[in-house]
Amino acid sequence: MLGRGLKRKLSDYEESMAGLSSAFDSSRSLSYPLKRQLVLNMCLTKLQTYKMLVEPNLHRSVLIANTVRQIQEEMRQESNQQPLSICPGIAPASHSYAGMESPGIALQLPSGVGQQESHCCDLRSVEDPIENSLLIVSDDDMSSAISSILKDLDFVEDISPPTCLVPTGDDQPKFPENTGLKLEDDRQDLKGAECVFGSFEISNSTSYLKDLAIDDIFEDIDTSMYDSDFCCPPLMPPRTPSLATEEPLKTFPSCNSSSANNIQICRTDLSELDHIMEILVGS
Amino acid sequence: FLGAGGGNDIQWCFSQVKGAVDDDVAEADIISTVEFNHSGELLATGDKGGRVVIFQQEQENKTQSHSRGEYNVYSTFQSHEPEFDYLKSLEIEEKINKIRWLPQKNAAQFLLSTNDKTIKLWKISERDKRPEGYNLKEEDGRYRDPTTVTTLRVPVFRPMDLMVEASPRRIFANAHTYHINSISINSDYETYLSADDLRINLWHLEITDRSFNIVDIKPANMEELTEVITAAEFHPNSCSTFVYSSSKGTIRLCDMRASALCDRHSKLFEEPEDPSNRSFFSEIISSISDVKFSHSGRYMMTRDYLSVKIWDLNMENRPVETYQVHEYLRSKLCSLYENDCIFDKFECCWNGIVMTGSYNNFFRMFDRNSKRDVTLEASRENNKPRTVLKPRKVCASGKRKKDEISVDSLDFNKKILHTAWHPKENIIAVATTNNLYIFQDKMN
Repeated sequence: MLGRGLKRKLSDYEESMAGLSSAFDSSRSLSYPLKRQLVLNMCLTKLQTYKMLVEPNLHRSVLIANTVRQIQEEMRQESNQQPLSICPGIAPASHSYAGMESPGIALQLPSGVGQQESHCCDLRSVEDPIENSLLIVSDDDMSSAISSILKDLDFVEDISPPTCLVPTGDDQPKFPENTGLKLEDDRQDLKGAECVFGSFEISNSTSYLKDLAIDDIFEDIDTSMYDSDFCCPPLMPPRTPSLATEEPLKTFPSCNSSSANNIQICRTDLSELDHIMEILVGS
Repeated sequence: FLGAGGGNDIQWCFSQVKGAVDDDVAEADIISTVEFNHSGELLATGDKGGRVVIFQQEQENKTQSHSRGEYNVYSTFQSHEPEFDYLKSLEIEEKINKIRWLPQKNAAQFLLSTNDKTIKLWKISERDKRPEGYNLKEEDGRYRDPTTVTTLRVPVFRPMDLMVEASPRRIFANAHTYHINSISINSDYETYLSADDLRINLWHLEITDRSFNIVDIKPANMEELTEVITAAEFHPNSCSTFVYSSSKGTIRLCDMRASALCDRHSKLFEEPEDPSNRSFFSEIISSISDVKFSHSGRYMMTRDYLSVKIWDLNMENRPVETYQVHEYLRSKLCSLYENDCIFDKFECCWNGIVMTGSYNNFFRMFDRNSKRDVTLEASRENNKPRTVLKPRKVCASGKRKKDEISVDSLDFNKKILHTAWHPKENIIAVATTNNLYIFQDKMN
């Protein structure tokens, strides 16, 4: 098996996945649809794992989402080419999938794939883990997996880091307060731009500030706003202000309340939050 | 072009290894970037713990003319600290993603180091003298009673033990929403670019509160996102030209004179896909992990998962040369996808000869002229100085010959992602997970 020396502990699932990918790589008897299904499931599993991270890796998410799209497109084209009725080859073939069936989970293969019939006998040699791991994945499932991970990555944009987040070295020279200026270019102006620099717009604020009404900026003094911002309905009931979050949080710019609900802090464990509070309070 | 020497291939010898010996790698010690300065006298490494370690080559010993100077620690400093973004509840990693040296203008050295979000300009200066003989202060710093001062003297500089100090001179922060993957200093030596997954910004080295956004590929609707920026570099001679590579295997060359926002490329380099190699993982392995210009600027080199390609800037539709780094992995892509190795970002460098890393602590060299290639290993087993490295061979399939290693025995945790080539001499720095190896050619 590939990956000798891998330090991570393999859970049962991961072990079976590793076995599956070895089978993919080494076995010639795995049919194309089966291989595709395997890859698809791996992709979706990865996307799901990334969604649970506070900050999914954008590069990997995009690559995996593209792979899912590619498979999705292929499967759509196949189902468009063939009639929707189940190909007769499948019914008898299901008997030779002895050992393929496991309670409650059926292997869904796109109908009408020609090679299926010739390969169905070979599938008897496929290990059990395959059928346990491959789940029905619909076109909608794929689309929603893609959009959900990419939407999560969009969250990152709505709120820019506050200007107070600047690391300090001991010999820090005084430098002008960085307000995160980004010179945004008005694309319409580009077409007729005479002067390159004339089309630059020095924006005097971070993007998140633009989203807020001017009054919102001053609402951070009101501690009751933080109670709802840092509350995640499934995890915590609305908290009373007794939690010692008020004082340190007064120094932070406020969140846009609508995006606050999407804040992935919802995923932060209670214990992590406590830990953070300890650091802030200095205890 | 170095090392041609009548068609003889370079013979690489072990010179030094830096770093901990134990197998248990401390996370913070993982080397994340390696870079020689413009003269080659200094070699900087950055690690996952946010530290920068600079090695200096000692002056050549006249009596030991058969070896070049050794590299010894010159300065160590904490470049970046871990941060916590309270608003997004995210940790900002202190890992140093890239280091780039500025050319030396005076006695001090300057380098740019960056983590995911913040770039810093560091000044490294030496102090080997200190003033002595103050009138109002004792040597230990205590103030003298002014009434005891009867004569005046002029303080003089006296030699002291060399002290190397690193101080942050500029902090370029808050301009990147996504993770910075590249920084590149312009040939004007006044500006530089920083690239993250979706945007590239242009900075002036003196100005920290403002940057120009020159590339923005973020779609209005993130669900339409299909491509990210993976690397960017300025042209070595033309200060208005830069390239950036993408996760789809394309390279775009942009000219900043054409428009303020370089969303329309001047050139697009892309090789059509080879249909016989098509697989589910084709796109993933086409993602470019590094792009480097040649010294002349006529060519550029890109690294994707399995190969290194040389492009002529005048030809957009295909590379002029392609080198297979570890083609034997093509049949293992599913396993490599499963364990995430397929996302490893290998860098490449060249000095006439192309060099790039692989797994099992192997690294590969390709001689563009002779078309010969060699696989070498960075391992402490070969650590007698001036021991010539023995070429290694991976057996893809079939009967494994003696001294060959089979693909399934490769250690995929031992990856060489970062390598650097001395700008003037045949000295190479190769980073394994937490060790830095220095090899030099066998001088006769």
